[in-house]
Formats: sequence, C-alpha cells, structure tokens
Amino acid sequence: MSKVPNPSQISLDWPKTDFSRVPYEVFTDPHIYALENERIFRADVWNYLAHEVELPNAGDFVTNWIGSTQVVVTRDKDQSITAFENSCAHRGAQLVTQVRGHMVKVACPYHLWTYSLKGDLIGVPMANGVNGKGGMPQGFDKAQHGLSTLQVQCHGGLIFGSFSKNPPDLLEFLGPHSLSQIDRLLVQRQPKVLGYLRQRIPGNWKLYNENVRDPYHGSLLHQFQVSFGLQQPTMKGGIKLDGDLKNTWNHSILSDADKDHQKWVEKAYEGTGKYNPNMKMADPALTQVPLDLADGYKTTILSIFPTLIIAQVDNTYAIRHLRPKGPNLVELHITYLGFESDTPKQTQDKLLAANLIGPSGYISLEDGEALRLVQEGIQSRAPGTHEVLEMGGVGAIQDTDYLSQEISIRGFWSHYHKIMGF
Amino acid sequence: MNALELDYASRHFFHVYAQFLDQEQFNEWIGLFDPHQCTYEVLSKENKDLGLPLPIMGCSTLGMIQDRVAMLAKGVLTYRRSALLRQVSNVQASFGQDGHVLAKANLVVYQSNEEGVSSLYMVARYEATLERMESRLLIRKMQVIVESFGIDTMLAVPL
Repeated sequence: MSKVPNPSQISLDWPKTDFSRVPYEVFTDPHIYALENERIFRADVWNYLAHEVELPNAGDFVTNWIGSTQVVVTRDKDQSITAFENSCAHRGAQLVTQVRGHMVKVACPYHLWTYSLKGDLIGVPMANGVNGKGGMPQGFDKAQHGLSTLQVQCHGGLIFGSFSKNPPDLLEFLGPHSLSQIDRLLVQRQPKVLGYLRQRIPGNWKLYNENVRDPYHGSLLHQFQVSFGLQQPTMKGGIKLDGDLKNTWNHSILSDADKDHQKWVEKAYEGTGKYNPNMKMADPALTQVPLDLADGYKTTILSIFPTLIIAQVDNTYAIRHLRPKGPNLVELHITYLGFESDTPKQTQDKLLAANLIGPSGYISLEDGEALRLVQEGIQSRAPGTHEVLEMGGVGAIQDTDYLSQEISIRGFWSHYHKIMGF
Repeated sequence: MNALELDYASRHFFHVYAQFLDQEQFNEWIGLFDPHQCTYEVLSKENKDLGLPLPIMGCSTLGMIQDRVAMLAKGVLTYRRSALLRQVSNVQASFGQDGHVLAKANLVVYQSNEEGVSSLYMVARYEATLERMESRLLIRKMQVIVESFGIDTMLAVPL
C-alpha cells in the first residue's frame, strides 16, 4: 500500500459545495486509497463484520476484510464476540487461513504463539528457554502482547467492528432509517444463510456505493426487470437519508397503475434498442415469486457507510459487503438469506429468485460491467475533470419521493469529503 | 455401450458441449438437454463444501435454460463481450445404477478482449448425469462447480 499522505498534499479540485461534481482521482489515486484506510476504515466508523447466525457456537470464527485489513471474528464460551487483526503479535504472520471454521484457540503456524478466542496471548513456546539457555527476557509480559483487537458491537444480528478507541454510538451511526429497515428485514424473522456469492469487480469501491444510491440507472441499465414487469421507471419510490447524509434508504413500489404507463415507457425507450415489450420468457416462474412481506415494497436498498448494503430485491434478501482491494478492484461479497420460518416452498422460491442477483443475476450482473466500464473510462481522464451528478436536482441534499435522481450519491460524497478532510 | 465406447461418447459429448458455447450456438447447446427433464446449475465450490444450496445460476426447467441464453441473444442483458474459449479435460464417465451415465470433467475458460488480450476467466468442474438416447447422450442434470468463485466481474454466458 502507498505511504499515507497528508490530505493537504493531495491536490483535488472539488468545485461544487453541493457535490454535484466529483473529481475522478478519488477512484484511481493510490494515495487517496491509502488515506481512506486511515481516515475511514481504521477511524471513527462502524464496519460490518458478519451476521451472528454465522457464529452459532463457541469457537466458531469467520474472516472478513475492513478496507485492506483482514480481521477474524470469533465467538467465545461466554458467547461474547471478538474481532482482531489476522496478524500475529510476534512477527506479524497471518494466523488464520480458512475463511470460516471452528477452533478452541488461535495458534500462529510460524512459532506456535497461541491466543485465546478473545485475542489474549496465552502461550509462547520455549518462553523459559531450552536447557536453561535462551528464552524470553525476564519481564516479558504476555498481557502486553495480545492481538490487535477491535471494538465490537451488535445490532439486529449484525456484528460491527471499529478500530477507533472512541467509536460513535452505533445506533446513532446507523440512523433511524437503517434501524427500521434492519428490523424489517433481519429482526422480525430469524435469518439463515442460504449461501454466499462473490464478485471481483474491476472498479473502485466507491463506484459501487454510487451504484446502490442511484435509482436512476435501475430501469435503464437493467432491461430485464423493465421487459418483464419487475420494475418500471414510473413506479412510486424515493430515497431517505440520515442526518449526516451518509446512509441512504432507496425504495420502490410497483402498483397496478404502472401497467397503464406502458405507452410512456415505450416512448421513453424509443430508439434505444433495449426495450423488449413483446419478448416472452419460456419459463416465467422466476418473475412470479410472491413477495414475503405484505408492505408491497418491490425493492429496498439500505446503504450504510462505508461498505454495507442490506438489500431486498423482489423476494431476495441479502447482505452485500464491499471489500476494497486497492483503488481499482473491489470484491462484492453477498450473504444470501432465507428465514427459519420459511416453508420448503418459500426456500425453493428464494433459490429461484436468486437468479435475479449476484454475478449472474438478471438485474445485477450488469452492475459489475457498469463499474468496469467506468473504471476503464476514467483511468486516463485529466486531473481536474469530474463526474456530473445533477439528475433529480442540484443544491440541497434531501429526501425525495421520486426515483430519477442522484441526490443520495451527493449525500455519500458530502460525508466522504468531510471525514477524509479534503 | 461398453467402457471404451462410453469413454469415447462422454469425451465427444463434452467437446461438442464446449464448442457450442464457444461459438455461441446456443440453440444447439439447448439441444443437448433432455427436453422432458433437465436441470442446469452453476454452483460455487464454497457453497458446495458448506452444504449450502444457493446457486450462482440455477435453472430447474428447460424453459429456464432457454431463457438464460435468450437474454443474451436478444440483447436484454448488458455484459462483457469477451471471446471465451473452454478447455475440457480429465473426462471420466461411469454407468449409474439406473443406467444413466455419470460424467465428470475439468474446465478452464480463457477470455480474450477486443484488444486481443487474453486471461484466465474461470476454473470449474462438471458433474453431469446423462441419459442415453439412441446414439446420443442428453443432459438430465448438469452441475458446474466453480473453483474460482470470486467471479471476475460477472458470469453472463453459461459454462
């Protein structure tokens, strides 16, 4: 990773206070990426680590990434959850190589230093030397050489970690819309993991943050959902932002009235070659999976700064997590959920509906391609050039009751700009 | 069909299967499935090993398989247009108790972009249940288990 620069050493032209312009360097500059690890991922934010159902028993562990740092999340006998950097306190070796599993203690493969599941150093082989010679010096205090642990808090089954010694209050950090949506999607029914999906998208992690805060693209890039009636640009919906604009809840509702808007849609897409109103599916079962929830929301995307998205797309429920791999690559990790109360038919329906999302999803595979195209397109843009975010209006960053907007993206940049110190 | 004939038939089957997909002869590829009963599933090794049922791409009827390629042919999906070349190796086949052919093979897929730059796109394994229909083998069940389950950008074209 590049040496972390002082923000004042980074020359960025960010001309609009409403963040309707964003300099392209934020997506490509390795110095900015290095600064993000310091100012965002290792600073005063809560980072998503795992869902509690992934750690049902004492000794269970999972690994995850916070920015460029790999962490291990464990559950101990007292049911407490700990998170620590996956790096030995002795010489820095990676401790855990499995993605997930079970262990009674953490042992470094290199010199077999061992740690408790809470990250405390409990064993140093040959600490007293061999044959009366060598060993650790007198005064070596194991208590001073535990693993680098994070602050951990949970809400609604979600486990969050922070490198900050004084992290913000978690509930305030999440904000009211996040809290109500976490309750709606993850608390009122007990989730269970149906599987994982991973995409390595050759684009900057913030491009995906833009993507999920951008309902404008939904009915344009994803023609499948328009062609087969899952979404319409005319449908009701909007965005709600939290107080510091970093977290967004996008939502849409399909109603019978949208069927009457067919003519409008045909005209809007005229000449694009991308609208296929007469195309029929050979097996439309995928588009006929009923919604579990009676509130009628067709899509709800909750985007929590910096890297967590909790998404309901049709009748799919997923935790999406961004794992940046440098300025030009991000892994999108998806935990796909069912619920303990689901009938076998509901589980089958969710596995069928999974064809809508993920790397092969009819209404998501294109997001990977869109990010790749943007990253390709901006690599050679001259310094001082910007993207334009004016759809839906400029100026105030506020909630809307319409979908053709980029205002929530400006909210993301407003917060990003502030905490990066630009 | 004796063991030698089975070996030849199964190798031939996978060669034709890969060729149809490489050349985007999607209708011909569909023709390799048993129209009365067939499934097609792309599954990550991660989920397979964990016993989790979620597929990357899951089709439980012939119609769903047809839809997968129709979306490509009709231009509904916007996806990375790479030239894909599949290399199938280590084909193994045996007869199951019900007379079906159980076939396995390894797969690597290379992608080449418009500028003529190639890279490895995918590493996977086939596990198939095939039905003998006169002189042909037809797919009852095709499972593609993806070892490189950190998918490069997206997976639009079937494996």
